[in-house]
Amino acid sequence: MAKVLIPTPLRQYAGKQDSVELTGSTVGEVLSALTTQHPDLRKQLYNDEGKLRSFVNVYLNDEDIRYLQKDATPVKDTDTLSIVPSIAGGSVAAPPEPATAELTKDEILRYSRHLIMPEVGTEGQLKLKAAKVLLVGTGGLGAPLGLYLAAAGVGRIGLVDFDVVDFTNLQRQVIHGTSDVGRKKLDSAADRMHEINPFVRIDKHEVALSSENALDILRDYDIIVDGTDNFPTRYLVNDACVLLGKPNVYGSIFRFEGQATVFAYEGGPCYRCLYPEPPPPGLVPSCAEGGVLGILPGTIGLIQATETVKLTLGIGEPLVGRLLLYDALAMRFRELKLRKNPECPVCGEHPTVTKLIDYQQFCGILQPVTTEGDIDPVEVKAKIDRGDKFVLIDVREPHEYQICRIPTAKLIPLGELPKRLNELDPDIEITAHCKSGMRSAKAVDLLKKAGFRARNMKGGILAWSDKVDPTVPKY
Amino acid sequence: MIRIEPAAWSEMVAHAQSTYPNECCGAMLGAIDDANKSVSVALRLENAYTGERGSRYELRPEDLLRADKEARSRNLDLVGIYHSHPDCDAYFSQTDLKNSCPWYSFVVLSIRNGAFDHANSWLPDAEQTKAEREELTY
Repeated sequence: MAKVLIPTPLRQYAGKQDSVELTGSTVGEVLSALTTQHPDLRKQLYNDEGKLRSFVNVYLNDEDIRYLQKDATPVKDTDTLSIVPSIAGGSVAAPPEPATAELTKDEILRYSRHLIMPEVGTEGQLKLKAAKVLLVGTGGLGAPLGLYLAAAGVGRIGLVDFDVVDFTNLQRQVIHGTSDVGRKKLDSAADRMHEINPFVRIDKHEVALSSENALDILRDYDIIVDGTDNFPTRYLVNDACVLLGKPNVYGSIFRFEGQATVFAYEGGPCYRCLYPEPPPPGLVPSCAEGGVLGILPGTIGLIQATETVKLTLGIGEPLVGRLLLYDALAMRFRELKLRKNPECPVCGEHPTVTKLIDYQQFCGILQPVTTEGDIDPVEVKAKIDRGDKFVLIDVREPHEYQICRIPTAKLIPLGELPKRLNELDPDIEITAHCKSGMRSAKAVDLLKKAGFRARNMKGGILAWSDKVDPTVPKY
Repeated sequence: MIRIEPAAWSEMVAHAQSTYPNECCGAMLGAIDDANKSVSVALRLENAYTGERGSRYELRPEDLLRADKEARSRNLDLVGIYHSHPDCDAYFSQTDLKNSCPWYSFVVLSIRNGAFDHANSWLPDAEQTKAEREELTY
């Protein structure tokens, strides 16, 4: 009987034994007897095609069977077989790229204002050249980041975006121009950055960042800059950065106010230390709903760019453990101290989140508001034309009503609706609309609870402009 | 989770700092109780990679076999493998993943400018497509 030594982690599949005695005249026969006796071992050692997994080596006494007669190697009763994995690795994903140990004459000229500062110098500029920075999003924050990081000479910049440029972007996303409308943001941004600095390598990732792809994309970069505008992606970027041990340069903007800090940097707090749970969906309006001063992302994005460059150079005091708050109307900066939360579910002492989760679900954005009883704008138009008895209410804000309106609609902003119900006739059916259908869905919910018959106009006034009246401007 | 006892930990850090700016590698011996692993002995192994060892390592299977025998003779288990990332974070790189094995914990030590910086432990899957971070204490 030959003896097979079982590696510790596999003993649970072999009746907890550290070795198994088996009969067989060749290695192949012994292994087949082993997996017959302990079928659970089979999928540990063999892949779906029935081949030994790539990392599994079999040793007969002290020799690898690959250098003997493989499966046909004869086995004596006194022999010992060992299962040994082959293990290797290294900090780089690919063979090291050509050394960036020198600056060319053109680079020296281009970066001369950096080179003459001792805090940067040639050494610092080489660090920038070797740096790999990922920008998540090429919108409001990504625009100034992309422009200035390219100009500063960051050697490799990754961009993640899957959107196309549209007219409403141009008020703030200065990396894109009017002639870029309709183009992929990735192409538009990369062209502009290359125009500023052809020495920069730009990697385009045309995907929506997800739990499935985030680690693979982020892994190749030194610093991740979060320029996203929604909670699921923000938590996703944060968690992926913590899991990979990479700094997350964070910024966010809303109307006239912005925030910035560096998360997940060398023992500092992460986004979840600050916000363990996302706000209920719909509570915090996005820029598309609440608006944003076009210049604001410029200010915040450049704070992120500054921190990215400082981290790369290793100079100054990084914005770690401090949340910088900016109020453009007051023109004031304030700072809040942030502490690492020892109970943090992802970066705390006993993490409960050890892999990426479903962030849509985590942020409660699983199902859209009920669509039952929704009415299409075309049908609403037909009802108006037929003179059907119903009332159309517009639950947007007065300043939105000023931009565009449906002529027969009565304006009752969502916030005023509860105290203005007496203006509505309970016997007449109500149709509600807003900009895109989200707020009016809430209004319909509220009206139904108050005993009214109400329906939501699908897609709001934007869909009205698309399907009924193209002269109604979109915003 | 994996807990590394002080003697083993200082040996691992000393090893990683001594091979800087090259990567080091070694075996971790100890005990496994369900998902709780403890490491009491760190065994230095040779980085057998034939190219530039600043960003790569390779373990000879024979050395691993020796480590496994050593563990058995001391009544311990081979719990995991450690290696260092000089001037680089302690993530599990694609190279690490593609040459990994799901049976062991992989502890990566980040060494910056010759000094220990931080460490993580990783559990790769059988398909070598992803690695989960494991709670590490030392």
